[in-house]
Amino acid sequence: MDFALLYHSFGNVFVPSVMLVIAFGVAIGITIGALPGLTATMGVALLVPLTFGRPPLESLSMLLGLFCGAMYGGSISAILVRTPGTPAAAATVLEGYPLAQQGQAGRALAMALFASFCGGLSGALIMTFMSPLISSVALEFSTVEYFALAVFGLSVIVSISGNSILKGIMAGLFGLLLSTIGADAISGYPRFIFGQMDLFEGPPFIPTLIGLFAVSEVLANVQITKQIVRVKTVVDRYFPTWADIKISAVTIARGSLIGTFIGAIPGAGGDIAAFVSYGETKRVSKHPEKFGTGAIEGVAAAECANNACSGGAMIPLLSLGVPGDAVTAVLLGAFVLQGLQPGPLLYKEHIDIVYNVFASLIVANFAMLIIGALGIRLFAKVIMVKRAILMPAILVLSVVGSYAMRGDTFDVYVMLVFGVVGYFMQKHDFPLSPILLALILGPMAEANLRRSLVISGGDFSIIFSRPIAVGLLILAVGSLIASVYNHRKIQNRLAAASGLEGE
Amino acid sequence: MKRRSVLVGLGAAALIGAVPFSASAAEWPAKPITMICPWSAGGGTDLLLRKLAASLAKETKQTVVVSNNTGGGGAIGHAAIMRAPADGYTIGMITFELNSLPPQGLIPFTWKDFDPIMRINVDAPALTVKADSPMKNLKDFADYAKAHPDDVTIGNSGPGSVWHIAAAMMADELGIKAKYVPFDGAAPAVTALVGGHLTAVSVSVAEVRSQVAGGNLKMLGVMGETRSDLFPDVPTFSEQGVKATFGTWRGIALPKGVPAETRAKIAKALKAAYDDPEFQEFAKNAGLALAYQNDKDFTAFLDKNANDVHRVMLSLGLAKK
Repeated sequence: MDFALLYHSFGNVFVPSVMLVIAFGVAIGITIGALPGLTATMGVALLVPLTFGRPPLESLSMLLGLFCGAMYGGSISAILVRTPGTPAAAATVLEGYPLAQQGQAGRALAMALFASFCGGLSGALIMTFMSPLISSVALEFSTVEYFALAVFGLSVIVSISGNSILKGIMAGLFGLLLSTIGADAISGYPRFIFGQMDLFEGPPFIPTLIGLFAVSEVLANVQITKQIVRVKTVVDRYFPTWADIKISAVTIARGSLIGTFIGAIPGAGGDIAAFVSYGETKRVSKHPEKFGTGAIEGVAAAECANNACSGGAMIPLLSLGVPGDAVTAVLLGAFVLQGLQPGPLLYKEHIDIVYNVFASLIVANFAMLIIGALGIRLFAKVIMVKRAILMPAILVLSVVGSYAMRGDTFDVYVMLVFGVVGYFMQKHDFPLSPILLALILGPMAEANLRRSLVISGGDFSIIFSRPIAVGLLILAVGSLIASVYNHRKIQNRLAAASGLEGE
Repeated sequence: MKRRSVLVGLGAAALIGAVPFSASAAEWPAKPITMICPWSAGGGTDLLLRKLAASLAKETKQTVVVSNNTGGGGAIGHAAIMRAPADGYTIGMITFELNSLPPQGLIPFTWKDFDPIMRINVDAPALTVKADSPMKNLKDFADYAKAHPDDVTIGNSGPGSVWHIAAAMMADELGIKAKYVPFDGAAPAVTALVGGHLTAVSVSVAEVRSQVAGGNLKMLGVMGETRSDLFPDVPTFSEQGVKATFGTWRGIALPKGVPAETRAKIAKALKAAYDDPEFQEFAKNAGLALAYQNDKDFTAFLDKNANDVHRVMLSLGLAKK
């Protein structure tokens, strides 16, 4: 660690032109993140051409600002209109939307921003000081460990099942079944696509997400538009209360570590990190029965983990030249455009650039805190819009967002189908998040299990041959048992509570 | 009032779009040009095309829009190029997959349904192993593989992908048996090799470049016709007595039926964009091996490449017929 160089790098970042592009990146990022269908990945990809011919520091700072902003921006629509703006914000819906329904949108937004900031800053600091160490751990991950990690992630389904574990598992299995659609990861054989090439790479993820969450909510609202009383929301704060911070402090610390670490593992991103962090927080909480009805720690857990992921995902990109998630994969292209090849060589030849990236990611998090705080009052107004106007607007955004991903009308139909599926599932009290988690982790579990078996020549003992993998699998079983036990406790408490009310 | 003017504007835009374009070829380009990329925004192909599009815009003084029509492992984008109006205002980037999808029965068309304009680059794969491996050349690798027939794993970028085919060709030529491990793209395969979870990878020189330069990996041989400009010390396969060359390629094609006069103008403008120093410098920085061919040579190349690919895929059991 070269502190003189780090100090010098901050000097490079604290110049008007760089500060300006960071602020610009963050503002665009928050907007893109908040719009369903426009993800951080797409935002960075769209902005990369704008950086042609700009100096490396300015271009990379702008993209890093956008990355940060978008990770937070996703929570805005998740909280206000139950539509995760980015897949990484899907776990934020679980607690954020109930809070908004109770007129506490401002409180949830302030916490989301604060947790995003804490997570993002922790991720950036861990990246700055521990990159070489963490990337060497990430390299230990072979196909077997990826499989075990995916199984561990799937065990979170029980935590996000809501009232009935059985229905949660059914939703999860439905998701796993959907994830088998598309080209087989090992043989390339197209499965269940019925000649429809649009399904070759599986059901398109973003349209599925938008359909399940946004469109189903629009459909549900249409039936009751006239009865809905407008949610009275008082937005009088930019910062969470001291009490909220105290409740969430441990959660934020844990979420930051989980997020940074999961981010650092190539191929695992903010969406997985947020769900795992949420699941862990609920599991260790003293009041797990509050989860699902608007527990502020739940928002903190998800948001700090997905922002910590940004710093985490930069670790393997910079030190190994391997992107940690989809956004950093596009960032890799931006580096290449600048004539820089991330990886071991970057550390040798352009250590100044590496430190500039450290400095600008740290600064970008502060910019996100300031710009986000200025925006909260504005964002929260969305929820005060009449439902009769808001719902059609969400539907339009959903259509545009689904289409925009790859310019394909097929995706719009996928979104509509999942809107209807989501509507009926909700009506019958099936949780939606397990489907999403299964769609993210199913392919990861399947492909890596099969890859392991290709390597071992079909011998299943390979799965138990590596300590990290065995550790993760034991964790998965442990967390499963704990969650089921927890669920019983919740049911008992809820029963006791309603019994008391009855008397 | 404001709302109405927006509506009027939209209506006008729709009308302009609907009027058939009647200007003669002499005027090309008289309106913005769209370039179709079958791969997603931000990837290697996309960046290359965007850079070429920027140079083309400079050359033609017209707006050039890149549209990413992705999905189906390239099938969607290639189909979009083929079905685009043949007015010279939609130009497509075609890639290697145009020759590997048809044998798998995944697309009902071939390169013959396109009008090839120019080849841009050909990137050769390399057989790459860990830097601390005792193997020094292809012969060492073959000897090792023969001594450990069940242990050799070669990572590639996906089932039926260009580097999967490359690995099969390598193994075939070296007379060895190996397990092909497909990953979701080249990067995770390279990472797995760096972590010591594979014996080798068969991806392109550009994709292992940073790890080779950083001292984590080393290349035993390059499968190109000539040595790589990036690593002139690494011998080719042919130099080591293994007569096999292979590579992925990218090029530009039009939908069939563009008038000859317009077509000639497009080809000229694209060549000028290709020669733009900015484009050349970008390709050099990205480690891409530029390999220009005009339409005639590119057509002959496509024909041979399609046959080669089909043959190897048949032997791999990846081709349907």
